[in-house]
Amino acid sequence: MSRIADPLPIWNLRSIKEILKTFYPTLKRGFLSGISITYNMVKVIVPFYIAIEFIKHTSFIHTISEVFKPFMSIFGLPGESALGLMAGYFINLYAAIAVITPLQLSAKDITVIALMLGVSHSLPIETAVTKQISVNAWLLLFARVVFSLISGVLLNILWKLFL
Amino acid sequence: MEIILVALKDSLSLSVKLLCIILPLTISYEFLKHKQSIIEKKHFAFLGVTHNGLVPLITGVIIGLTYGAGVIIHSIRTSSINKKECFLILLFLSMCHAIIEDTLIFVVIGANGFVLIVFRFFLAIILTYLMYRSKLLSN
Repeated sequence: MSRIADPLPIWNLRSIKEILKTFYPTLKRGFLSGISITYNMVKVIVPFYIAIEFIKHTSFIHTISEVFKPFMSIFGLPGESALGLMAGYFINLYAAIAVITPLQLSAKDITVIALMLGVSHSLPIETAVTKQISVNAWLLLFARVVFSLISGVLLNILWKLFL
Repeated sequence: MEIILVALKDSLSLSVKLLCIILPLTISYEFLKHKQSIIEKKHFAFLGVTHNGLVPLITGVIIGLTYGAGVIIHSIRTSSINKKECFLILLFLSMCHAIIEDTLIFVVIGANGFVLIVFRFFLAIILTYLMYRSKLLSN
């Protein structure tokens, strides 16, 4: 007479509890760091969003738009998106998002900006990180900014050709 | 006054959307850290990056420079990675890091995520390959 095999441990309620117990600290750490990142993000996003919404209702936005128009047209972007680009370069991506969202750009414009910012963003903080590893941080900084601009021009051309 | 209230409401709803993306990501990062020892064992050479440099490379591509800085700096200092390889890793990382988070937060506001990932990845690979082959970096 063969004995029925023990149920697989995964179906066993006690072992499920044990698995949860081993994963719980990891889960908790992930959750807490997610909350703290979001908290830092909200501190940046809310003031920027309000400031941009405010600027949008004054004539200041037209001045900025006119000033940056010749430069931003290289990437096929409207002039006021220069604000988002600057926020991303010098502060961080969340600030850039807070600036870009109220401007109501097209999907193509957002993708071009996102690519440029993806290659090169939060430059002060990330250059500090690369400096600690003591390779040529300035060369890296230079490469990032240059290739950010080049990729913006390229994507603008490619998008017009293929999409 | 009304402008400020509307802006406050919109910015908070944007933040909630971003929270929904960031929370699962940070939780999965913590699980990835658990599994990191598996990656270390494989022998591999890619664009002048040997298996020693693979841990900082993968950490950076997935997690990002700011959040993963601790892991990256630690693994570069403790393993025997030479200057050239170190530069190649950082060059790749500066073009293409935090690839999941950065892409998703722009997808939330309407960007084309596929284009973003492919473009950044190829830009990083091409650049790193060129620097790897060039004589500029001979030790």
